[in-house]
Amino acid sequence: MEITFAVLLWGVRIAFLFLLYLFLIRAFGALTRSMRTESAAERSLGTLIVERSPARTPRVGERLALRASNTMGRDAGNDIPLPDEAASARHAKLEVRDGEWWIEDLGSTNGTLVNGVRIERPERVRNGDEIAIGRVALRLER
Amino acid sequence: MKSVGSNVRSLTIAIAIAFLMTSVGVGYWTMVASADLGSDPFNPRLVSAIRDRPRGKIIEADGTVLAESVKTADGYTRRYTDRSLAQIVGYASFKYGASGIEAAYADSLVGQDPADPLSTWRARYLNEREEPGSVVLTIVSKVQKAALDALAATGKKGAIIALDPRTGAILASVSLPNYDATLVSDPATEDVAWQQVNGDQGKPLIDRARSGLYPPGSTFKTITGAAALESGVNPDTKVRVDDPWQADKSWGTYFVRSSSQAHGDYTMADAYRLSENIYFAKIGLQIGGPKIAEYASRFGIGAAPKCDIPAARGQLSNTGTLDRPTLVADTSYGQGELLVSPLQMALAVAAIGRGGIMPTPHYAQEVRDSAGNIIRTIAPGASGQVVNPATAAKIRDYLVGAVEGPGAFAFGAKIAGVHVAGKTGTAENPAGPPHGWFVGFAPAESPTVAVAVIIENAGQGGVDAAPLGGKVMQAALAR
Amino acid sequence: MTVLLRRGDELRLLVWVTLIAITGSVAVAATEAAGFAYSQLAIPVAFICVAVLLHVFLATRGIRGDQLLLPMAAVLTAIGLVLVQRLASSLLLQQLTWTLIAAGAFVGTILIPKDLTTLARFKWTWALLGVALLISPLLPVIGKTVNGARIWVGVGPANFEPWEAVKIMMVIFFAAYLEEYREVIARPRRIGPIPIPPAPYLLPIIVMWAIAMVVVIFERDLGASLLFLGIFLALLYLATGEAFYTLIGAVLVVVGGFVLYHTFGHVQVRVDTWLRPFAEDLRFDAGYQIVQGLFALGNGGLFGAGLGNGMPDRIPVVWSDFVFNAFAEETGFAGAIALLALYLLFVYRGMLIAVRAPTPFLQLLAGGLSFIVAFQTLVIVGGNARLIPLTGVTLPFVAYGGSSLVTNWMLVALLIRVSDITARTRGTP
Repeated sequence: MEITFAVLLWGVRIAFLFLLYLFLIRAFGALTRSMRTESAAERSLGTLIVERSPARTPRVGERLALRASNTMGRDAGNDIPLPDEAASARHAKLEVRDGEWWIEDLGSTNGTLVNGVRIERPERVRNGDEIAIGRVALRLER
Repeated sequence: MKSVGSNVRSLTIAIAIAFLMTSVGVGYWTMVASADLGSDPFNPRLVSAIRDRPRGKIIEADGTVLAESVKTADGYTRRYTDRSLAQIVGYASFKYGASGIEAAYADSLVGQDPADPLSTWRARYLNEREEPGSVVLTIVSKVQKAALDALAATGKKGAIIALDPRTGAILASVSLPNYDATLVSDPATEDVAWQQVNGDQGKPLIDRARSGLYPPGSTFKTITGAAALESGVNPDTKVRVDDPWQADKSWGTYFVRSSSQAHGDYTMADAYRLSENIYFAKIGLQIGGPKIAEYASRFGIGAAPKCDIPAARGQLSNTGTLDRPTLVADTSYGQGELLVSPLQMALAVAAIGRGGIMPTPHYAQEVRDSAGNIIRTIAPGASGQVVNPATAAKIRDYLVGAVEGPGAFAFGAKIAGVHVAGKTGTAENPAGPPHGWFVGFAPAESPTVAVAVIIENAGQGGVDAAPLGGKVMQAALAR
Repeated sequence: MTVLLRRGDELRLLVWVTLIAITGSVAVAATEAAGFAYSQLAIPVAFICVAVLLHVFLATRGIRGDQLLLPMAAVLTAIGLVLVQRLASSLLLQQLTWTLIAAGAFVGTILIPKDLTTLARFKWTWALLGVALLISPLLPVIGKTVNGARIWVGVGPANFEPWEAVKIMMVIFFAAYLEEYREVIARPRRIGPIPIPPAPYLLPIIVMWAIAMVVVIFERDLGASLLFLGIFLALLYLATGEAFYTLIGAVLVVVGGFVLYHTFGHVQVRVDTWLRPFAEDLRFDAGYQIVQGLFALGNGGLFGAGLGNGMPDRIPVVWSDFVFNAFAEETGFAGAIALLALYLLFVYRGMLIAVRAPTPFLQLLAGGLSFIVAFQTLVIVGGNARLIPLTGVTLPFVAYGGSSLVTNWMLVALLIRVSDITARTRGTP
């Protein structure tokens, strides 16, 4: 086996290892980039601003971060807990569908209102609309 | 209720930790344990150059081939010519690894001797392997044959080892029972042979000469006597011996027994000639346990001899110290909890013969390349001054008396025309008849051979072993 | 052109995969042939074409979301091809065929079913189908015993292991079931800190799991039973967050393991060879494989003996059970860590997809699928490195094995679909 071939062969072997690590770094980079775009997209989705709240939480004026899908209700396990007696345990769900916000009542006792109107089926919520659950009022800001 | 999302996060952390621990585990095997694994005799990488390429020869100093690779239909396999050297030369099997010289000189036998780093580099990176040369052993065939014949004639298990006290070169080494290493190395027969050899009650795989451990019996008295002389004991002072003996009532039912039910006054010379246990027990207690331990250690008892193939350590006692008077007494005449190998005793007695200088043993003398040029010489030199020359001379004289004097037990080792120094030993063996020892060297004034013989379960103990020693030394003197 | 640029990250990563596949294959083939020939590029190039076709397929279908999983699965499969070439070149053609079938299964899983929630609706169908598949190797005509384990089914020339598909069905079933009953199970009555699970709701899944376990124990496949147990506990934890259930599960594993150890000889052998493989009575017999595996690891050092240069072929059945050790011998600790990192990244990506999925079912599905890959990898590498006893699971994507490759690519397809749904729901790219 001549020397040049042996050296080249070792070069290929080292290149293999090197490329593996390069791939890992690139993949990790692509991952962090996509994570950033995803959460940026999420942040730009919107926030709820508390307009009226009879209980101590949430405080009036508080800005609530929104995820892609948010359950709202009296129960503490909800994404957005609203400890008001007039709210049902699982009252409503606010979620994004293809870039637009939709609110759906989950069979609550007192109903969910958008801009004062009780919703019968899932309704779109636009920037500035107000959602009322029990005695709590929240405004969507995008 | 926690959301699925947060549970996913917790699970991911647990998984990441598990991966980390696994990486540490992998790191341990690839980097920390790597050296140990690499030198494990069963690692096929060690014996990789067996099947595909011819492996180097192992030869005796006079050129006799002991091991070589022969080509068969499936590749190369090892063939061994001298069964009596099976435990020294070893075997080399792709499946079962290697032992003896085959293992210890594995690198040299594949053409990658450490004295030639370029060849190792070429082999690893360029896959270019040198034509392997050979490893030349120190064994002398005439002496080996004499040893084999002598031991085989007894029909018992045991070992004989002979070395040159000036250089430490091993001239002969026989361990019975032995086995056929060719069968163990040949892929066609290796599985059956391996089962057989491992299952054999006689344990033929063990080299009794360097790894068999036995109580030394009276041969240990050489060390006790040397220790006494250097501690100021006067060898000419007569010591009363009455059989049986105990130091005081605290010994209870334990007594030191004399081998000849002696009653009399003994000098050290008498005690050697008649191998008197009580004498040595008394002076052993006189100089004390720590002194005996110190000299035992100087003579290499309890430490593995620095040899080119691994040898056994043995022990001075179970704890390494002599903490009880009865143990001191017993150890002084060679029983107690002592365990030594024939190699260790041969080295001890060689030191006595060489004015107190102990040689370093070695089984190989040189490594040659394929053209026959010497790449490396193995000559480790002396391992140290164990006792001063005057002490050695005195003990030597006593040992000559133990062979030639009136009533000497080792009379069987006499050689016409030469002064032989030696000592028999009869090691008590709880499982059966005692083992018979003989250690000695010749010519006594300036020895060229030192020998140690052990016969397991010998009928008359050391008296049976002495003639074997004599024959081997005679053959060695004629080389 | 713009079609391809939709999944630009993926395409860019595939370039690296190409280079890796080529250097790996050439290194191995050139060492064997003691020379370079252009024909050595055939296999990696063929594989890359398949991977690129899959990429084009995803781009033209407008699949959004994750762009990492396809290149990662591709690089792992490519490494697998290199290793099969190195260790068992007679099986290379078979592995290539299975790779093509796996690609087909990938495409199939992307296309069918139209809506993933139908998967959830048919959960009991999946459960029964899974049990049927598990039992199939025990049937007289098509079942086969290999190496003392009755886990194979042979149809004509092809052999496959049904349990590989069953693990996915299990995840689907558990995910669907737990989504439905999650709230009840996750809010148990408590005595102090100890939850008392609501039995009637837990019972069905425990029964399903128990059936799977019994069948697998009958078939003497310890690896599969460990995997099923892991999947069960993981999904239970993901759905409820009750670490206590996992604790009970772990205790049951230890107790069960103890019982198995004393009742089944082959379990005893596995544990003994794990504890003392170098012992004289084991090292040439049952322990031979792990001892050789450890020798291979030891020979690896930091950078390895070099692709094509080591002696991994001394390990029995190295191409399926001990690929990791072969890879570590030839690429060293550095290579082994890179491989483990690849798996970890894959799992991490899968878990991220799970976190962001819009419904609990999809979250549990993605989480469970990612867990399969993680657990399988940990179990086999753990066994290879003597951290735990050896089991019969194989390294996903890399080890030789047709059914494993096909089901794992289907797993990737499912994850990509979940990611696609998430992206559509949120309006992200």
